Amino acid sequence: MMSARIGLGSATRRVAFAPVIGRNQTVLRTLIPKRGVQIQSLPPSASEEILNAQRLKRPSSPHFTIYQPQLTWLGSIANRVTGGALSALLYGFSLAYLVAPDTFDSAHIVEFVAGLPDYVKYTGKVILAAPFTFHFWNGLRHLSWDMGKFLSLKGAYRAGYAALGATAISTVALVLM
Amino acid sequence: MASSMLLRSMLPRTFASATGRNVLRSASVQGKDILNLVSSSLMLHFKVRASSTAQYVPGGPIIKGTVNDPVEFPHPSKIHGSYHWAFERLLAASLVPMTAAAFVTSGSSYPVLDGLLGLSLVMHSHIGFDSMVVDYVHKRKFPIIGPILTWTLRTATVGVLVGVYQFNTNDIGLTELIAKVWTA
Repeated sequence: MMSARIGLGSATRRVAFAPVIGRNQTVLRTLIPKRGVQIQSLPPSASEEILNAQRLKRPSSPHFTIYQPQLTWLGSIANRVTGGALSALLYGFSLAYLVAPDTFDSAHIVEFVAGLPDYVKYTGKVILAAPFTFHFWNGLRHLSWDMGKFLSLKGAYRAGYAALGATAISTVALVLM
Repeated sequence: MASSMLLRSMLPRTFASATGRNVLRSASVQGKDILNLVSSSLMLHFKVRASSTAQYVPGGPIIKGTVNDPVEFPHPSKIHGSYHWAFERLLAASLVPMTAAAFVTSGSSYPVLDGLLGLSLVMHSHIGFDSMVVDYVHKRKFPIIGPILTWTLRTATVGVLVGVYQFNTNDIGLTELIAKVWTA
């Protein structure tokens, strides 16, 4: 019985078997329990603050960290990352030349690079050529999607592997140049 | 008599007299009318309040300006929509023959090609960065940082354009620089 669970069992029993004349007063007294919960009065507008506070504490299930690595989305984010890195290099160099043209002019840069050891030069070439060629071939793949080609799963995977192969070949070709 | 039985069991002594019983009898007849009047006036009152503050749709009123607002979609415009998309693809496609040509020839022989390539590269980079800002720091979710990043990017692009122009005019140019550094 619910009245027993909330601890008002004895009180309601007293009311049920109480004399008829004093029944109303006893009913009123059971509605206001002696050991009760503290309540505070809030305006209706406080509901949004409480909701926002709850939402801040809510956890979110893993999504990005558990998605299986696939050629589709890995190729896509790699295209964005390589493009962003190459563009950051272009922006950085241009702004540096604008701010300090004497330090960053072509003669100084060529001189600096020529003075580096060979293995550093080869590593630097790989680091520059690989993102450029991947962005180039994957960009062509993206443009072919925009024209309606390779839009099936098989087509996307075939084009993806072709782009990766072309990236490897052209990186080697560029580095050896 | 039902009314007398009622009097004896529960109600206080006030209504036990004959006048009290008369009051009760008349009240029970008039009570229904009073109740109808009160309820109808209450319902009228609620209707007036609902139409003035919130928009009513089936399921409850929608109060604008809270976190429960539905997503507001951007105003449809061809300039920011299909024209922007087409321009981006055409620009990317034009970069392919331009890069190949600049690779085959040298930057000093064809400075116009070099300048066009530099401009197209900067525009292509700007559109790419702008897509990243829109994707990751949209102003709907980041009302302060989103616009700040957008305008920082635009300022940076203007600076880069000036820098590329200066480099191509006062120095050897982008394609020549890459060729020299690559074979250094």
